Amino acid sequence: MEADVTVIGSGPAGLTAALHADKNGAKNVLLLEREEELGGILKQCIHNGFGLEQFKEDYTGPEYAERLIGETEKTNVRCFLNTMVTGVVPDRTITAVNPEKGVFQIESKSVVLAMGCRERARGSINIPGTRPAGVYTAGVAQRFVNIDGYLPGKEIVILGSGDIGLIMARRLTLEGAQVKGVYEIMDYPGGLKRNIVQCLNDFNIPLYLSRTVTEIRGKERVEGVVVSRVDDTMQTIGGSEEFISCDTLLLSVGLIPENELSIGAGVKLSPTTKGPITTETMETSVPGIFCCGNVSTVFDLVDYVAQTGISAGRNAARFSAGALEKDRKTVEVVPGENVRMLFPQRYCFEDNLILFIRSAEPIERAVRIEISPLGLRMKRPYARPNEMIRVKVPREKLKDVTGPIEVNIRES
Amino acid sequence: MARESKHFTCVICPIGCEIDVQLEDGNVVSMEGNKCEKSEEFVLQELKEPMRILTTTVRIKGAKWAMLPVRTDEPIPRRLLFKVIEELANIEMQAPVKVSDVIIGDIAGTGANIVATRNMKRERKGKPV
Repeated sequence: MEADVTVIGSGPAGLTAALHADKNGAKNVLLLEREEELGGILKQCIHNGFGLEQFKEDYTGPEYAERLIGETEKTNVRCFLNTMVTGVVPDRTITAVNPEKGVFQIESKSVVLAMGCRERARGSINIPGTRPAGVYTAGVAQRFVNIDGYLPGKEIVILGSGDIGLIMARRLTLEGAQVKGVYEIMDYPGGLKRNIVQCLNDFNIPLYLSRTVTEIRGKERVEGVVVSRVDDTMQTIGGSEEFISCDTLLLSVGLIPENELSIGAGVKLSPTTKGPITTETMETSVPGIFCCGNVSTVFDLVDYVAQTGISAGRNAARFSAGALEKDRKTVEVVPGENVRMLFPQRYCFEDNLILFIRSAEPIERAVRIEISPLGLRMKRPYARPNEMIRVKVPREKLKDVTGPIEVNIRES
Repeated sequence: MARESKHFTCVICPIGCEIDVQLEDGNVVSMEGNKCEKSEEFVLQELKEPMRILTTTVRIKGAKWAMLPVRTDEPIPRRLLFKVIEELANIEMQAPVKVSDVIIGDIAGTGANIVATRNMKRERKGKPV
């Protein structure tokens, strides 16, 4: 089988990329999805707050997915469901398997990686104790409640204050469970402030900072967890242990981009984002292989995911038409002062540079985003590690740059 | 005169302004910390009656999945969230359902409708009918 653009994954990133590859003239666009329907994780994110920027609407996840699916159905994009991609090679041959075709290959002029991310689980954070039933990631609990109709437990402790954990605290409370508290190892919350207010404060669910779960107890089923305080260096403080009785522990302890296929395709990954090293065109280190959404770096908002999908789809279409040269000059984009994470990592002089930045430390005062050697300064009212900062640098300001572009966050 | 101070975190946008309000006999005499007029409106509404969108699920038969996601089509008083959840506990829908279909009109006397937030086709044994 041959294709101009093949998109792997049909969550918000993949759907948007496929739509925009089609819009930008790619004739033969394929969208491959391993599940039995399109939409990815949006289907279980039944809360609202999606698409405020992109569609100026306050959609729920399923509504947002329906809108993108509806738009896709009006195009010539061909969707393959129940289709698992098992390999991608650098010359952009894709191997996939599904019940109708068995194992088959697609030779695609360009490829968009949109596999999303997965949750860190108990094994990633090494919680000691027994191995009873009742330990779930927040996303698994979300699927049980919102799609399958099962309540994972009655008395719940949540470790980690990421957005999914906060949203599940509210969801489980509404469904009749008692959420005893959300415990966060850092001294600031992981999720957005609005979620702290609407998901925890509205329901009197306590948030405990600088604490972590140091033991899980229970034989067949979770009977409780031991929670300890941590110091500035995140070491547990002896003598601070407290037993909390519960039947369920939910983990909301971070997401990791899912890049097994990218590695197989020879795509270079960034140790900071755990996603492909990418230019502003969303092209990876392998020419003609693009990426978008949470496979590239874990974004805070679906609007950001969609923005990378638009860029990946458009540029994958350009590449497939021969409109994007294979060997282009690029410069590095490097993190400077108080920058923990920076995306993309390279600039290739094709588009505006839209930077996604996470600060290393929270600063609750006015800050400047300083971009050297351009001497550009952008003001922001604050910098918080849990809220990505997005900055647009117009292409015309970058045309004379020869060396690395450095991004700093400094107090005003 | 009864003086009172209250604190709010605005949820209108991601900035999340921390707002301090001084009240005298229940009337606002000063407000500090809000960066825009929208958060002023938010605080006044919070003082009067906090309003929230409710998103939840109802059971559905004859579809691929057990649960159909639903929402209120406008914000409802926060104090009625659990009442609405209770009213939805015994609802069982039958596929097919289309996104935006009204599941229950004027839920719990709020004036808001409960609407479906996705399409669900009719299926039998995992196959479309």
